[in-house]
Amino acid sequence: MLLIEKRDSTKNQTNMTDLTAFIIIAFSALIHASFQLSISMLTLLSSHTIGRKRSARRLFTLTSSFSFGVVLMTILLLSLFAQIINTFIVSSGESLLVWTIGCGLLTGVGVAVWVFYYRKQLGISLWIPRGFARFLSTRTKRTHQSSEAFTLGLGSVVAELLFIIAPLTIAAIALTYLSIGNQLLGIGLYGFISLTPLLFITLSINGGTSISRIQKWREANKGFLQFAAGSGLVVLGFYIYVEEVITQSVMAAARSL
Amino acid sequence: MTEVIKRNGKRQSEEFKREKLHQSVHAACLSVRSPDGEAQQTADTISMVVRNWVDQKPSVTSSDIRRVAANALETFHPEAAYLYQTHEMVV
Repeated sequence: MLLIEKRDSTKNQTNMTDLTAFIIIAFSALIHASFQLSISMLTLLSSHTIGRKRSARRLFTLTSSFSFGVVLMTILLLSLFAQIINTFIVSSGESLLVWTIGCGLLTGVGVAVWVFYYRKQLGISLWIPRGFARFLSTRTKRTHQSSEAFTLGLGSVVAELLFIIAPLTIAAIALTYLSIGNQLLGIGLYGFISLTPLLFITLSINGGTSISRIQKWREANKGFLQFAAGSGLVVLGFYIYVEEVITQSVMAAARSL
Repeated sequence: MTEVIKRNGKRQSEEFKREKLHQSVHAACLSVRSPDGEAQQTADTISMVVRNWVDQKPSVTSSDIRRVAANALETFHPEAAYLYQTHEMVV
């Protein structure tokens, strides 16, 4: 895990407090949690494991390994993004530029989620290339070992990078404002919140809830989930634009007078 | 003998295999936590319904088989039917 030096907020002309950074991280993680590819793969994995008459213990091992893979890859990507942002962009003192890029990403991905995220057909197919989706489905069906489930969890996060890149980037930027101890806390907070739905589904399935019930709920609410994820991204983008771009620019202009 | 044409016609067509259908319906029923005996019975019934339908045709597509099986399953086990129907539309 990469820990990065806390930024000097005075030098970078920002008034971001630790609390604001944590709120941005938590909200980004919440948006990340509303994305569905890992959940789809988890339900598919569970459905095949139960259908093959595997034991409850095997089901638990596979679903836990999958979830562990997801959270580990999420944390690694977040740390990597934070390190890249800190090394190549923020250390040059261009905090306005980095926030502006982040806002553009949030708004762009937010609109894309509104328009594209789910395919307009029966079921809960997502807007990822069909060949890739078929590969993921086949791999999920053929998963028998916990190590395979773990790798599948890692892969599911990478497969959804097109959508989760926006909340990950914003959380990574916010992380660079925290002290090293708080960065660990921020990474843990992001990992935990983004994992919550997966944890809930894992516990529900292992507790005996029918997969078709979960899938029906997801299908019935897919429009809402899509709208919530897209809106969350756009709202966060707008907030950051006002708070970190406009406010800082106005303050800088006032100081120069 | 009824010929089954695979999805998109990409793979070679094959003979209708009752066991294959039985296995997938059985798995769908087990996935929604049906007891094994009930799942077995449902799969037997659905396989028979589809077999009778297939026997009247010289050739069918694999999508047709899935659709007919899902319709029949809807009557006997709606929850399993939902899972069976949307199985390819999860990811």
